[in-house]
Amino acid sequence: MNTGLLGGLCAAVALTLMASGAQATGFATCDAGPREGWQPQDKLAAILKEKGWQVRRIKEDGGCYEVYAMDDKGQRTEVYFHPRTLAPVPKGAKGHKG
Amino acid sequence: MKVWDLLVRVAHWSLAACVLAAWITAESKLKSAEPIHEWLGYAALTLISLRFAWGWIGPRYARFGQFVAAPLRVLAYAKALLRGVEPRYIGHNPLGGWMIVALLATAALASLSGWLSITDRFWGAEWVQEVHEVLGNAVIVLAALHVAGVLYTSWRQRENLAAAMLSGVKRPAEPGDVP
Repeated sequence: MNTGLLGGLCAAVALTLMASGAQATGFATCDAGPREGWQPQDKLAAILKEKGWQVRRIKEDGGCYEVYAMDDKGQRTEVYFHPRTLAPVPKGAKGHKG
Repeated sequence: MKVWDLLVRVAHWSLAACVLAAWITAESKLKSAEPIHEWLGYAALTLISLRFAWGWIGPRYARFGQFVAAPLRVLAYAKALLRGVEPRYIGHNPLGGWMIVALLATAALASLSGWLSITDRFWGAEWVQEVHEVLGNAVIVLAALHVAGVLYTSWRQRENLAAAMLSGVKRPAEPGDVP
């Protein structure tokens, strides 16, 4: 059977998947400058806890902090925050400056 | 002759559309595409459940018992394929049959893991999100191999198998074919 064709197809699929994985994975990107100016994730977690949120996870995504939490009404919520200002970043924002 | 019944054909193309649209909506990174992506997952799960039940109670060529071949038969078919002497199957050939099982199972697990990732219990759980992403990508890779297999077999048998999945009709069995 034509293994060359199949091999080429597999390679094309693999490349597409890898290329898509290399991009920012989320809904917003931030322009937050050097890391020295970033506020710690713990501080963001404390602020949100104060608001009555139950923080499930904070991770970096596209230069922003991405938060998964249950909000004060018990609703699932996923919000981006600017690492320098800790201000919320609207989804869809590109290179948000805080 | 009529090979693919209406439910098999509708389920096939609807699931194909769901998978393609789910891939596009996931890669778009658009907030507005999220509810559509979720809805597509529920639709896929419904279609897979229907198809699975049909695989037990449906007509001859829809049944898993008709097209899920024992490992030795799959191996024999693969060897014949490499030598270019594989027989024509009226239903799914042994490799194609297993591809269908793999596609249905992987798509079901991808949908289920996606649903888990938006339950209160697993909201934000990294492992659920990663499992969902890996399974989603696996469905796309399997679908690409499936299409490659269909193209190759269509060329070998001089019969447009994608069109047969639309009309349900295939060329009648000839001597040497596997009915």
